[in-house]
Amino acid sequence: MQTHMKQNLWGYLFIGPFIIGFLAFTIIPIVASFYFSFTSYNLFNPPEWIGLDNFKEMFTSDPRYLHSLKITFIYVFAGVPLRLLFALAVAMLLNTASRAVGLYRTLYYLPSLIGGSVAVAIMWRNIFGDEGIVNLALMTMGIDPVRWFGNPTAALWMLIFLSVWQFGSSMLIFLAGLKSIPQSYYEAASVDGASFFQKFYNITIPMLSPVILFNAVMQTIAAFMTFVPAYIISKGTGGPLDGTLLYSLYLFKQGFEFFHMGYASAMAWVMLVIIGILTSIIFFSSKYWVHYESEGGR
Amino acid sequence: MKKSLLILLGIIMILLLAACSGDDSSEDTGGDTDDTSEETDSDSEASGDEVTVRIAWWGSQPRHDYTLEVIELYEEQNPNVSIEPEYASWDDYWQKLSPQAAANELPDIIQMDLSYISQYAENGQLADLEQFLGNEIDDSNIAENTIEGGRINDGLYGFNLGSNALSFQYNPEVLAEIGVDEIPDTYSWDEYQSMAQQAADAGYFFDNGMQADVFFNYYLRQNGARLYAEDGSGLGYDDDQLFIDFFTILQEQVDMEATPTPDYLAQLAGPEDDPVVEGEGVGIFQWSNQFVGLEDMSEHTFAFGTPPGENLEDGLFLKPSMYFSISENSEQKEVAADFIDFWVNDVEANKLILGDRGVPVSSVVQEEIADDVSEAQQAVFDYVAWAEENSTPMGAPDPAGAGEIIEQLTNISEQISYGEISPEDAAEHFRTQAESILGN
Repeated sequence: MQTHMKQNLWGYLFIGPFIIGFLAFTIIPIVASFYFSFTSYNLFNPPEWIGLDNFKEMFTSDPRYLHSLKITFIYVFAGVPLRLLFALAVAMLLNTASRAVGLYRTLYYLPSLIGGSVAVAIMWRNIFGDEGIVNLALMTMGIDPVRWFGNPTAALWMLIFLSVWQFGSSMLIFLAGLKSIPQSYYEAASVDGASFFQKFYNITIPMLSPVILFNAVMQTIAAFMTFVPAYIISKGTGGPLDGTLLYSLYLFKQGFEFFHMGYASAMAWVMLVIIGILTSIIFFSSKYWVHYESEGGR
Repeated sequence: MKKSLLILLGIIMILLLAACSGDDSSEDTGGDTDDTSEETDSDSEASGDEVTVRIAWWGSQPRHDYTLEVIELYEEQNPNVSIEPEYASWDDYWQKLSPQAAANELPDIIQMDLSYISQYAENGQLADLEQFLGNEIDDSNIAENTIEGGRINDGLYGFNLGSNALSFQYNPEVLAEIGVDEIPDTYSWDEYQSMAQQAADAGYFFDNGMQADVFFNYYLRQNGARLYAEDGSGLGYDDDQLFIDFFTILQEQVDMEATPTPDYLAQLAGPEDDPVVEGEGVGIFQWSNQFVGLEDMSEHTFAFGTPPGENLEDGLFLKPSMYFSISENSEQKEVAADFIDFWVNDVEANKLILGDRGVPVSSVVQEEIADDVSEAQQAVFDYVAWAEENSTPMGAPDPAGAGEIIEQLTNISEQISYGEISPEDAAEHFRTQAESILGN
């Protein structure tokens, strides 16, 4: 008994830092923000209970909120599929046997390592500048240069391109998935005379579907919480004309610029609910398109 | 079993908390000052013990450079004081300050702006400076109404660092090229528009737009109104026609291409790419202390003119360029006040500052540094002196929530220049938004 307790003690000792960090920086803030979301709280004075007013204001009298919700949806629904497609395409390329494949994998993963950083967003500002490489490329193709920072729609697409470019982490997961598909399936298909596309649709996609599900869920959640690129590229304004005012940027502005911490907390909870609904939709739909080998390829 | 677990958790908790509080102040300074004095400064009485004071300001690189030099100078003269600087650009500055305020961790000395001072003062974040006047801060050479600029309700919450006035800073060469000899002392808004048309015809921009909140307020003042009501409870104008008239002028400027379109301006990498800096525009409507920076960035020489409108005197006012405030949570208020005194009264320090934070408030300092200032700086001093004679008092400080109103107004004026909304609709929109912000 004595030694048993000692063993447990060591276990708790080692896990302690995590538990404390989890309590102090996750659980307590979550509970606090839930409480604040029903209050009017300006960071200085004690919070004042106002019931559901924050939520009511969001959907009835804050056009900027609805606008930021709209462009966040565009960002997620355009960005995530594009990113997954791109990641899958590159993963398939890198799955071919080549001598330098290790180098390529590192190179393609690199943008994701530095992806969310301030430096990349600043670089992005230069790439899309008036005389940036993108506009130069457009001009050599005879297309008029685009004012990426001046046009609200273009600015949002610039953010979407940035997110697509950071495909590395989903690409690595796809790559692992591809590696786990037995080569014998492809060999058998080849013997039967299947084309590349037939093999792709009938073997790769079904075998990879659990990985696609995982990536889709993770990337959707991550996309909803995008903050840094929008903040840096618009210099903290969400402009032009609120074209890059992503949800979390507007939440940040409400909380720390306008001192509406109660409202910002309420926004955070609505975001949680939205992410929850989207994730459940993906999960429920998954039984129609995700195949698990262990279930006999249902 | 349970008990020992609790004790263990308790110990870990204490260790962690101790570790956290130990390094949080050194982490966000970014400066290279050592914080060995950390342990002792809370119970020292600024006598001979080591004292650490944090100071925060916003600005651009030249300002950071000379401010650090002034701090060094102060530390040389006060070897027991070490000052930790925290600086940022305008936007980042306010976003960094608010969480610090919420945590009661504000720096001891905070550079403060007119549009935020009420917010911070009314929430009890700033110390009343009245107690330091005549003690730590020598105000014998400073005009009473200069100091008044930091008064909110019945306390002095910011020490005015200098005066600013609105101006038109123009390039005489380009002005001659569009066929205008000089900017008259007073000229009507119609004359402004016809000069702008001349510029557009000659292929130049006349200006690069007017900052919406600043010049709308100026326009309102010319018409006997204000942006904010005196008591801060609402807007200071009743007639939306004033909004419509002013923003119609701005929109017409964009339409006739006398002012660059907003998407063109958004594409600029920084102020040094501005058409006026490049010699493709006549001038910029902005605050007087920005003149020196403008000349530094450009290869051209600029001159001072006034903003448009017949009732110049009603529109113009002297504004505190910025303040130094002391935070209520500071444990070193006396030392902080002493630094403010050094800043406004020390001649050597002001030879480094050279009026970048507005015309020096001390008459002695103004005289003493007269030989050291550049021609451009002298032009700023002269313009502010002239404006002092030809302006009306500023009136009540901006209400709490002004920061948010300014953002809404900027946003709406952007929508007008993009042609997304008519000035009529915008007027109504702005009134609803502003009143709901101020009503809270």
